[in-house]
Amino acid sequence: MAEKTWVRMVTAQTPTNIAVIKYWGKRDETLILPVNDSISVTLDPAHLCTITTVAVSPSFDQDRMWLNGKEISLSGGRYQNCLREIRARACEVEDKEKGIKIAKNDWEKLHVRVASYNNFPTAAGLASSAAGFACLVFALAKLMKAKEDNSELSAIARQGSGSACRSLFGGFVKWIMGKAEDGSDSLAVQLVDEKHWDELVIIIAVVSSRQKETSSTTGMRDSVETSLLLQHRAKEVVPKRIKQMEEAIKNRDFGSFAQLTCADSNQFHAVCLDTCPPIFYMNDTSHRQVKIISCVEKWNCSEGTPQVAYTFDAGPNAVLIAHNRKAATQLIQKLLFCFPPSSDADLNCYVIGDKSILKDAGIEDIKDVEALPPPPEIKDAQRSKGDVSYFICTKPGRGPDLLSDESLALLHPETGLPK
Amino acid sequence: MEEKTWVRMVTAQTPTNIAVIKYWGKRDETLILPVNDSISVTLDPAHLCTTTTVAVSPGFDQDRMWLNGKEISLSGGRYQNCLREIRARACDVQDEEKGIKIAKKDWEKMHVHVASYNNFPTAAGLASSAAGFACLVFALAKLMNAKEDNSELSAIARQGSGSACRSLFGGFVKWNMGKAEDGSDSLAVQLVDEKHWDELVIIIAVVSSRQKETSSTTGMRDSVETSLLLEHRAKEVVPKRTKQMEEAIKNRDFGSFAQLACADSNQFHAVCLDTCPPIFYMNDTSHRQVKIISCVEKWNRSEETPQVCLTPHSRSLT
Repeated sequence: MAEKTWVRMVTAQTPTNIAVIKYWGKRDETLILPVNDSISVTLDPAHLCTITTVAVSPSFDQDRMWLNGKEISLSGGRYQNCLREIRARACEVEDKEKGIKIAKNDWEKLHVRVASYNNFPTAAGLASSAAGFACLVFALAKLMKAKEDNSELSAIARQGSGSACRSLFGGFVKWIMGKAEDGSDSLAVQLVDEKHWDELVIIIAVVSSRQKETSSTTGMRDSVETSLLLQHRAKEVVPKRIKQMEEAIKNRDFGSFAQLTCADSNQFHAVCLDTCPPIFYMNDTSHRQVKIISCVEKWNCSEGTPQVAYTFDAGPNAVLIAHNRKAATQLIQKLLFCFPPSSDADLNCYVIGDKSILKDAGIEDIKDVEALPPPPEIKDAQRSKGDVSYFICTKPGRGPDLLSDESLALLHPETGLPK
Repeated sequence: MEEKTWVRMVTAQTPTNIAVIKYWGKRDETLILPVNDSISVTLDPAHLCTTTTVAVSPGFDQDRMWLNGKEISLSGGRYQNCLREIRARACDVQDEEKGIKIAKKDWEKMHVHVASYNNFPTAAGLASSAAGFACLVFALAKLMNAKEDNSELSAIARQGSGSACRSLFGGFVKWNMGKAEDGSDSLAVQLVDEKHWDELVIIIAVVSSRQKETSSTTGMRDSVETSLLLEHRAKEVVPKRTKQMEEAIKNRDFGSFAQLACADSNQFHAVCLDTCPPIFYMNDTSHRQVKIISCVEKWNRSEETPQVCLTPHSRSLT
């Protein structure tokens, strides 16, 4: 008996985010509730984003997901939590054009297919699971016509990956740790939108890490269990820093912003070192991280007021936030001096995102990179060719969006299989 | 008018020490008073030591010092403090054989010559100033016939270099942070002597560092001023660890000893990272420190009970 089957599909795009006051440590592993608040800046999805297509159809006999073209299992707790929570909030859907009518209680019997794609390499460790879970939850919410606002959706995304909750908004975002046992008040809110402080320029030095690092989940659990400094950080230091950071962002006070961002990044890594066994995220063979910190600290000091803030996550990449375009231009010159591309690299692929920064820096080809002067604040500056895989130049960006252009969908509109 | 002049001389040998519960941060820069207690193990002077000869003579017209054969200045505050404190405790000396008679009040008019030698390379950063100041103070005390015991002498050596106070004893030593404003109760005491746990073997990987590191004095001052974790360490963590470490040493409990020593070493470096600007002592080009820590941590885990502990300090690795 052939029934005319239908496929309802929605495609969404979500940004990733970088914490400036760090999340490190859970008070509840299952619900993913943190031991302190955190604040992040959302990056421009034009440069870094996850695109997810979700589809539902009576002809799908199981939930399936493809990530960057490869099928993955949805059986894990995190995926199950997100699917269950969104399904519980599904509402009636009617699409007269396509002849689709889904009653509220139909949803629990229907299966979904998900295809997700990051426009940046997953191995880059650029918080792809944050963008990924945020996109999954946002897209499913649109598909199932859930009525929840983005903060309420963030509480669901949080259960997929903690930092995912912060990708439900653009600009600067705060993940409120919450007090409730069930985590219903542990969610993200927008502090300011992406236009509030849009002169900031964010440059990320992406490194392909050869070594396998400690996973954030394992690492932060070890820290909670063994670091005698973590509790003090969570109870005393972070609450004060959160207030100060909110003020700095509100007032566009870059000096305070930079001091707080760098201090919090260093303290996060200090707690990692205070863990048993100790975790070394900033210990890459090339010393890149230490060189960058040293360069930035000296430059900021010589200028009297900070020009650039640095922050490092649980991985090898360096995120640098420049006060304005002028500082960013000087920064990219210093970075390209210290970390020039390998001889066979294409400059066009070496600095991606907002490539116009190169032009502002007077760099058009490799010859210009070779001719760069050493940064005056570093004594005996060395050039470490090929140490950085590439740079991304971006800025604070907007939150999740639906993509109405069907050609961008990752699933075929009729089969519901990856294109 | 030729007077038969004399020289009175004393030579002493002092060990160096490695902290297993670290000293990092002062509450008083001049008197060198720390923000927490520390515990160290004294290393066998047969392998690592400072030898110091101190001499006094009416023929000397100024205080002079030679370190490893090179003359150095004694004008700095630390040397001046030590010299002043020992001189104030000088007593009568009589050596009939040599025809030397020094009255208590004579000492302030006389000058000393000091020669000091480390049998390990100074650039190795193996706490040579600790051994050095301890030896200077100990030798001068003997020269000047001071009556103070080693704990009292440690309070003077402390004013030369904080960790020097712990080199006034063998075995395991504790530097009590003290409470008094004048630092009179900030001194070292012996916990156990060197025979108590003599099956321990200490291996030091010495590295000649090419880069100039942050000096301890500057580094710990920056930490006190800028690390929001340091105070918590000093007030809450170290007091508990000190008690546990004393127990572990007393009971020869290597498992606890290792866990505490490694944890305190890592926390010290964590506080350095939490400083503004951050201090990276364990970031040498070769990754040596991380490799060693990783190897030891894994081996200890595989054996179930710790076999080895390590404690990199602000210079080379121990």
